[in-house]
Amino acid sequence: MRSPLVRQILILVALALAPGIGQAVYFRHKVSWQSPIPPSELVTVDQARVWGKNVIWVDARPDDEFASDHAPGAISLNEDRWNELLPQFLAEWSPGKKVVVYCSSLSCNASREVARRLRKEAKLPDVFVLEGGWEAWVKKNR
Amino acid sequence: MGSVGEEEQMKQTPSVQRPTPNLEISPRGATSNIKHGTSNILFRLVGLVIAGVFIYAGAIKALDPVQFANDIDNYKILPWPISVALAFYLPWLEIFCGFALIVRLFYRGALSILTALILVFTLATIAAKIRGLDITCGCFGHASQNWSFPAHLATNVAILAALLALWISSRSAKPL
Repeated sequence: MRSPLVRQILILVALALAPGIGQAVYFRHKVSWQSPIPPSELVTVDQARVWGKNVIWVDARPDDEFASDHAPGAISLNEDRWNELLPQFLAEWSPGKKVVVYCSSLSCNASREVARRLRKEAKLPDVFVLEGGWEAWVKKNR
Repeated sequence: MGSVGEEEQMKQTPSVQRPTPNLEISPRGATSNIKHGTSNILFRLVGLVIAGVFIYAGAIKALDPVQFANDIDNYKILPWPISVALAFYLPWLEIFCGFALIVRLFYRGALSILTALILVFTLATIAAKIRGLDITCGCFGHASQNWSFPAHLATNVAILAALLALWISSRSAKPL
């Protein structure tokens, strides 16, 4: 027979499963189990290129990386200087424009976080994360 | 307990006081009882505060599981699908354990789970710092977004110390 402590732990662990599963069902359309970024919020370099001048490129990398090189016309907007850089970005943005955010590579988080904040805090629609980040952009354009 | 004769006498004369057992409480015993009572109240308060902390932390993360999944993923320890599964599950585990501490049901089970959780969170935070990851802990959702590493660590260590104190007190109190 299991000790009372183990039994208590198992009961609590099992109890928490029910609302957890319920929430997973409720949020099934809001989160992807395959990738941190839902496919609808991800865009490739080729797809973004098709949008032409209707795109604002946002560089979410640190200042020094932006200073060394960036996509033509890209606006720097990173979390380190968010409050300072956001007004500059918003001055460039206009309704109907699509925003494509990139960071260093496929594994970086900065673009995802900046895109999330633009959607949530600045309430902007059509904000996308560039698949493969700056590395992918360089491969396609240089 | 009084004898049958005493009971009869009391029925006949209600004003007669029931004899009290001749137990004298020594001053040392009384002080010890007061100290014991005070420490019990103190531990109960600590338990309530810890329960509140975990219920709050769980609730704030349960409200935004997608963000919590991203916070877990930022540690770069687990694959994304596991981060998502934990983001849906862990907040509820914290909430249930918090309530278990308040109602003192499955008390030690809850203490064990919360101690294990805080240990894992602390180790993950230290590992992230060592690997040079500049991330938010996600412990209290976006409320902890701007916490520094020492603040995270101090909070976790304080909670761990409180949990250990509750563990020690529970060994003498014998809750469920």
